[in-house]
Parts: sequence; C-alpha cells; structure tokens
Amino acid sequence: MKKTKKILALALAGMMAASALAGCSGSGGKEETQATTAPQTQAQETKAPETKKEEESSQAQETTDGGWEYKEATLSLLIDNNVSLDGLNAVCDLAKEKLGITIEIEYKVDDSVLKTRLASGEMTDLLVYNSGALLGALNPSEYFMDLSNEAFVDKYDDTYKASVTVDGVVYGVPFASTQAGAVMYYKPIYEKLGLTVPHTWEEFLANCEAVKAAGETAYISCTAKKSMTQVLFLGDHYNVTAENPDFVSAFEKGEAKYATDPAALKSWKKYEDVLPYLQEGHTATTYDEACDMLADGQGAHWICLTQALSNIYSLYGEEAVNNIGVFGVPGDDPDNHGLTVWMPNSLYGSLNSEKKDDILRFMEFYISDEALNAYAGAILPDGPYCIKGYSLPDNSYDAVKNDMQAYFDAGKTAVAMEFETAVKGANCSVTTQSLISGLTTGDAAAADYDEDCKLQAVQLGLDWK
Amino acid sequence: MRQKKRYSGWFMAPTMVIFITLFILPLVISFYFSLTVWSFTDVTFVGLENFKMFLKDRALSHSLVNTFVYSFMTCGVKVVLGFFLAVYLTSHIKLKRTLRSVVFFPHLVSSVAVGITFTALMHPSRGLINKVIQFFGGPSVNWLGDPSIALFSIIGTDVWKGLGVATVIFISGIQAIDRTYYEAAEVDGARGLQILRYITMPLCRPAMNSVIILALVSGMKSFDLIKAMTEGGPGTATEVIALSVYKQFAAGYYGLSTAGNVIMLVVIGLIAYPLQKFLISRED
Repeated sequence: MKKTKKILALALAGMMAASALAGCSGSGGKEETQATTAPQTQAQETKAPETKKEEESSQAQETTDGGWEYKEATLSLLIDNNVSLDGLNAVCDLAKEKLGITIEIEYKVDDSVLKTRLASGEMTDLLVYNSGALLGALNPSEYFMDLSNEAFVDKYDDTYKASVTVDGVVYGVPFASTQAGAVMYYKPIYEKLGLTVPHTWEEFLANCEAVKAAGETAYISCTAKKSMTQVLFLGDHYNVTAENPDFVSAFEKGEAKYATDPAALKSWKKYEDVLPYLQEGHTATTYDEACDMLADGQGAHWICLTQALSNIYSLYGEEAVNNIGVFGVPGDDPDNHGLTVWMPNSLYGSLNSEKKDDILRFMEFYISDEALNAYAGAILPDGPYCIKGYSLPDNSYDAVKNDMQAYFDAGKTAVAMEFETAVKGANCSVTTQSLISGLTTGDAAAADYDEDCKLQAVQLGLDWK
Repeated sequence: MRQKKRYSGWFMAPTMVIFITLFILPLVISFYFSLTVWSFTDVTFVGLENFKMFLKDRALSHSLVNTFVYSFMTCGVKVVLGFFLAVYLTSHIKLKRTLRSVVFFPHLVSSVAVGITFTALMHPSRGLINKVIQFFGGPSVNWLGDPSIALFSIIGTDVWKGLGVATVIFISGIQAIDRTYYEAAEVDGARGLQILRYITMPLCRPAMNSVIILALVSGMKSFDLIKAMTEGGPGTATEVIALSVYKQFAAGYYGLSTAGNVIMLVVIGLIAYPLQKFLISRED
C-alpha cells in the first residue's frame, strides 16, 4: 500500500510538471499567430495617410539628419488590439530609417495576458499600457525600467509626469496626446437655434430642452457600448474635485462614499436629468452609430471621450469634424467650468530586456519633435500634448485647437479619477448603463458603485472595513 | 471481500492518476484559492470573506434568478420541441435524412457567430426580424435593448441553436423502441395519439432524461452566447452567474471569481444530482 502511494505521488508530480510546461508553450504559440494576422487590417487603414507621412519624413531628414545614432536592432512591443496604430506605425517607419530600430508589434486582448507575461518574465521589450493608477497596480519597480535620470523626462508636462511616477520613480513615455471626457456638440444646431455654450448644468439642460423643442435629438447616448456610458460620470470629476478637493484621498481611505458625499452624488444624478432627451432606441446605439449621428447632426450633444473626433475625422473628413465643438461637463459654478482630462497611455521598457540601450534610444526618439510630427502627420491629436514646448499642429481639429486648448491655457483641467486612485469598480460600466437605460436611480447607482469599489479595495489590500 | 477481488489495485492506477490530476487536484486547489485574495505574485488568506462578498453582491441575486430562468426555460422548450420534432422526423416522410441534418446544423455553428448574427437580426431599426414584423404592420420590438425581454430573446436564440442536439437524442431513443410494441398496440386498436402517449413517451424516457440533464446543466453554465449578444446588459438584465464570474476574473478579482466558481459548482451539483436521481428512479 505504501509503495502504491509513493508511485502515485511520483506520477502526480510528473504529470503536474508536464502540464505546466505544456501550458506555457501553448500560450506562446497563440500570441504569435495573433501578431501575424492583425497587422494586415492595420496596413489597410494606414494607406491613406502614407503619402503625407513620406513627405514629412523626407523633410525632417534634411533638417535634422545626423542627430541620431544608427544601430540595427529589433524591439518587440505589446499593445492592445483595439488601438489605432496609424501614428505608431508612422513613428516606427521613421525609427527604422533613422535609428535602425525595427519594432515588432504584438497584440494583447486583455490584461490577464499582460499580467501572466509579466509574472512569467516573458514580457516584450516595450509595452504600451495605461498611465496612472493602473500602472501603480502593476508593481512597476519589479518589471519596468527606471527613467528618472533620463534627460528626455524633463520635457514632460508635470501632470503627465505625476501619472507615470510611482514612489518617486518615473517609468513611462507618453504614447499619444491627452484627451478629454467631455460634451461634444454639433455647432450648426447651436447656430441655428442661437444657443451658446452652457457653463452650468442647469444651462446645459435648458439647451437640451431648446433642442428638443425644435424637434431634434438633444442628447446622444451610445448605450450599447457599455464602457462609453461611464463618461458622463467620469468626465464630471472636475466638478467633484472643484467642490470637494479632498474627495479622492478620502475615498481611497474608504472614508468618503459616492452615495453620501453631496458633490460626488451629483455626478450620478446627472444621468436622471438627461433621460428625457435621449434619442429613440438608444439602448441599441453603438459607438460607431453615435459617431455617425453626431457627424450628421442627428443629435446635438454627445458625452464621450474626445477620441471620437479622430473616428469622425477618418470616417467623414475634415469638414465634418470641424462642425463639432467641445466643452467640459458643466457643474454648478459658472465661473469654474473645467475639463476632465485623460492622460495618454505610456510606453514602458521591460526590466528583463537585454536591449536596454536600444529601448532608451527609441524612447528618446519617440518624443522628439520629428517623431511627434510624424505621429501627428498620420493621426491628429484628440487633445493637447503633454510634452512641453511642442504645440498642436496647425491642422488640428477646431475642437482641440480652440475649445480644449482654452481650458488648458486657463488652467481649468483636472485629471480623471482613474489617474489619481487605483480604486475603480470593475462594474462601473454596468452601473452607468443601467442608469442611462432607466433601470435604476442615481442614488441606488451610487450605492451600488460604492459596493463595487469595495471589491477592488480588497484586491488592492486597502483596509476598507 | 478480498477473495472476490479479481484484479489488483494497480489495474486502476493509470485511470486514477489521470482522474486525480485532472479533476480532483484542480478542485482542491480551487477550493483553497477561493479562500484567498490572490494575484500572480502573492496570496493572502482571508477565510470565507470572498464567499460573503460574492453573496452580498446585489447584482448576484439578479444573476442567480436569471440563471435559473434561463436554464429551466431553455431546457423545457428544448425537451418539448425536441420530442415532437423527433416524432415527426422518425415518421414516414420524404427527405427524412435531409431534414434531420437541417435541424442539427445550427449546433455546428460557433455560439459567438450565432450570437453576433442574431444581434444583427434583432437590431430594433435595421434588423431583419423587425423588418418582417413591420411589413405585416406590427410594432418594432427592441429585442435586446428592452430589459424586460432581452433575456427571452437570448433564450430563443439558445433554443434555436441547441434544439438539434435534443432532437438527435430523442430520435435515437425513439428508434431504439422495439417495433413489436407498436404492432401489438395497433392490433389492440390504439390510435395515433394513444400510441404516442402510451408507447413512445414512456419508452423513450431514458433519452428524455439525458436531454433534460444535458440541457439544464448547459443552461446553468451558459456564457458564450450571452457574452456575444449583450454582455449581460442592458445593465444586469441578462447577467448570469458564469458571466459574473468571468467579469470578476477579468477585473483582476481572482480570489472572488474562484469563490464564485465554487458556488456555481455547488449550485449546479445541488440541482443536477437530485434531479438525476429522481429521473433515474422514474425510469425503472
């Protein structure tokens, strides 16, 4: 009997080792096939701006050639599969020409792939991932290169720098421009009805009422795209911090709650206010359909991330996108109308990589003026850049160049909550979708969200009892 | 006892090794992890905290109800429709083989593809289903956007997709019935419906039991179709347990989602095991 047990144990151990090995090689193979299939679709999308890019890069060569060290190298880069890569591809082409660095892009579908690769030490040389709290949650000192002493870090805008600094160490390089969670409005409707940009929530609702009275849709909601239903709540964060500057720190400690803090509860109530103005059948409206509606003027307002401007630009052209204006989600104080800003994702270098010098060369190049020009030549920014001294290209969308830049110039911006604290309930989008579908009330939704955040707090090891 | 034993215990060893490594061990490990808050790098033991948190979640009670509605309704409809289809397809009709294949075809398509297709068909303004309804003068229905009917729209899709399997099992059950029963009944003067009620139905009970158990369990852990069609929305109107567990895992709440899986295992076990016992006892 004893013998049996021993042999069984041995066999078990053997099986476990074998299955563990099989698991590793299996997942590796899968990623490779993904990486090879995805770029084909991307290549098609980049065709249009190709000519522009070439002009630009040849110009750049004449003026700044020789500034870069040329050494052949290949770096791998991991990025989400749903990010527009036009800009990145433009920079990569230029990097190959100037630095001799070839970038091989791999794709990730969700964060579990990323976390597994980090934990198993199989990270790519470069990674594109969120800035802010999500970076902090990855435990960056264990996985990413310390950039604090690199000269290029001095070019960062302070707000951005804070969002990629964890425990005093800087890790990231801005991947793209900033963007905002704000109200995008169709300017021709405003002109036709003689409306002006509202500076308080009351005025905003009055504008909605006027649009509705004129027989048009006042408020577009892409309810079928769950994640975008959050933007009214997340984009209202400027108003929350304006009224209660300590909310975030108290919230992280588990002391302040959305359901009980009067300033924070207002964000949830706003969903109830807009219900009468929604377009018909909004629960089936997708993100693309909402882009279509706004570009077409089938609705006056759409609260969404301003990355939609790029979608509208690439689908409907320059004239359509310049018909759209942007203002921050209004609060109660007409003199303090601000904008909630999303920091861009960042490039991180893997600590395990053997090509650290090449990674640094690429990073420095990535935020040089010529690389930024190449990027903007392929895809226009959805908001101002977070590199000091680099101004927006002249052909930027009106909404970015005029409307959004004004908030930055006046200093009336706040970063979204997710760049300040890692506590964000995973079911936030479910709650906001229920709310905009009229299934729950603002009060109940706020309480639900508080419960939801508690789960995250426990996972983060915060004491929220 | 010892004398009766013909084979040595060694005979079982290979199967036991496979069974233990692939089934028992993961089960035990997941029980342990359901009691912890874990990430890829560290583990903290928290006792029953995860279970408390999971059961306290208000969305969960909703997803429990949805899971039951979903599994019992899909199961019931599949059994009834599957049985009558099988009776029809075992009778003397033309194109019998072709029709049987047609009924089975939907099962060969991936759930995600079915989900995406039906989402398009059920679009409130552009979907084919509403176009047809409107052509005949009916009102347009927001199949997946209206919280009160979204779940039933998915149930309908699931039935369309899963009916083939139920029918095939019923067909094999009906064909296995000895013809002599029918002949005897006919000699005694039994008519169509009576034959159906007193010969076919009782004698294909084993097939019916398989269908019930299979349909019920697959309904309980249904995930792919719902994920493809609504992702549990609008709000939590079509949220089921398997989807909640997946969402928690994707959000990085690994301990909590492991606890959710253990709860799901227990719930399915508590329903499926007594049901099977009951059904088998009726067979004899």
